[in-house]
Amino acid sequence: MFRRKEKLSVVFIAISLLFSSTVSAEAREIQTKYPLNIVSAGFAAKLPAKPVRIISLSPSATEIIFAINAGSQVLAVDDNSNYPANVPTSSLSGFAPNLEAIVALDPDFVILNKDSTKSDAIHKSLTNLGIPVMMEEAARNLSDVYKEIRIIGKAVDQQVKARKLIVNMQKRIAKVIESSKKVKSQSFFHELDNTLYTATSKTFIGNVYRDLGLKNVADAASGADSSGYPQLSAEYLIRSNPQIIFLADAQYGESISTVKARPGWHSIAAVKNGRIIELPADTPSRWGPRIVDFYELVAKSIK
Amino acid sequence: MSEIQLKPIWRWQWTLMAGIFLLIVCAVAITIGPVQLNTIEIIHTLLGRETSLSDQERSLLIEIRFPRVALAALVGAALATSGAVYQTVFRNPLADPYLLGAAAGAGLGATIAITVARADFYPSLPIFAFIGGILAVIATFLVAGRLYSDPGSLLLSGIAIGSFATAVQTFLQQRNSDVLRPVYSWILGELTVADWSSVRWAALYIFIALGILFSVSKILDALMLSDEEAFSLGVSPNRIRIIAVCAATLATATAVSVSGLIGFVGIVVPHIIKRLTKKATNRALLAIALFGAAFLVLADLGARTLISPAEIPIGVITAFIGAPFFLFILRTRSKNQ
Repeated sequence: MFRRKEKLSVVFIAISLLFSSTVSAEAREIQTKYPLNIVSAGFAAKLPAKPVRIISLSPSATEIIFAINAGSQVLAVDDNSNYPANVPTSSLSGFAPNLEAIVALDPDFVILNKDSTKSDAIHKSLTNLGIPVMMEEAARNLSDVYKEIRIIGKAVDQQVKARKLIVNMQKRIAKVIESSKKVKSQSFFHELDNTLYTATSKTFIGNVYRDLGLKNVADAASGADSSGYPQLSAEYLIRSNPQIIFLADAQYGESISTVKARPGWHSIAAVKNGRIIELPADTPSRWGPRIVDFYELVAKSIK
Repeated sequence: MSEIQLKPIWRWQWTLMAGIFLLIVCAVAITIGPVQLNTIEIIHTLLGRETSLSDQERSLLIEIRFPRVALAALVGAALATSGAVYQTVFRNPLADPYLLGAAAGAGLGATIAITVARADFYPSLPIFAFIGGILAVIATFLVAGRLYSDPGSLLLSGIAIGSFATAVQTFLQQRNSDVLRPVYSWILGELTVADWSSVRWAALYIFIALGILFSVSKILDALMLSDEEAFSLGVSPNRIRIIAVCAATLATATAVSVSGLIGFVGIVVPHIIKRLTKKATNRALLAIALFGAAFLVLADLGARTLISPAEIPIGVITAFIGAPFFLFILRTRSKNQ
């Protein structure tokens, strides 16, 4: 008996030694060594040296790069990248990337979204031309966001800043979640457009609400599509009687007053109690550092 | 073929049956929905009697479900009737409201409203769609030029204008990927946000258009045979053509602007009715309108109940039924010839 315990403790010590050695190894790798191999969204890339002419074709990636102080290494960003204020927004499309336009700018690193038109082919062509490409996938949850920040941090040689950003985000989100526990659960409707497209708890944005203990009325329709963005019947929505309505389409002209004016909506609790929240543009749809702002905004509105 | 069509008998039985069918379909559509309501209570509510329905259920029935069924019926009638008229005027059994570029033009108009004009103009989307549709038809006529009375030339220029409008629309969408979802969901067609104001608005234009079409339908019968036939009746074939096409386009553009692009109603319905009644399109025009209304009410019932509480775009349902039917017509015709 006693011997077995001893053996166990030896194993424990061995394991903890192993851990401490990996930690110190990580600490040594704070400066990225090039050439660097990265794997993202199932695509590999090899960076020969620290990139200083980066093209980001994803607004989320752009926000991450600038948040970790690598903005000076950025050459151009896509037409939808509009944050922070000083980004070099170009006419490059992140939605339907133009290979020639990208190559013409002579970048040394390109971040491409996997959902963009023909992303596979663009990735292949750029790689063949010797331009390393990081394929970026839309985040499904927070750990995907942190993973992307980590990979970008490593690729652009800003690992310390990336780690700090992640820790900071984790802290702030944990605080928000903690405070939301004091509030009792409420039902809500997240409106993507005025034809009642919405997001279920399966989605990235749905996760945020779930983290804050809110009940999504769209979850009854979660079987409707694989990606978690069903269109709800007006009848169902009125019957489900959400206590809060979040307008992700406020940037397209929907507002508290347009929602109040909709036929039949006056009987919904959220409308009766004036709990309609006009969400700011972009923050709910990007998985960058500002997702924390969104957590805080939602938490504030449920109190 | 001409012998059957020239029989001057209006078989009112078919029209009556289509009318009864529409009433039954509407009754079913009002009774069934994503939210279960007691049928007897619904009848009481509609008759203005006291019911046990809650305020919420009442408003759901009166403000959501009822206008939606009404709008589906209006749009169905408009698309089916204008489809039938296009087919007659162009002597082309495959002609439909999409032909003259009307639908594509309306689609472009709506896309412009969403992308270029942005937030301030968002509520005016139907007006943009309407203007787009009318402009596309005018463009089609201008491109066809003096050949506008030649069905073939007009068809081809309609296709060209339609492709052009679609190209511009796709370009705008690509340049404004952030508003892709609203444009996309509108294009797929939907009646999800039907309300009484859109019903009133659509009813006004659609009734005007259908009234014109019904009144010229007899002359259209003559046009179906030949221009000489029409001349012998003392009417100018081209003037009638223009009037008919304008009215049909008005109906189409109105339908498109309130419900998005809903395909195949304009082909499926006229052909079913013609097969059933063995009548020239125009003689069965009222039956076609009524049956078109019933068809779309049924399709919309599917759209809102099949995967409830989520919605299926109604354009998907009509195309799912319509496209195979379209191919069927194409094949049986090619066999006959």
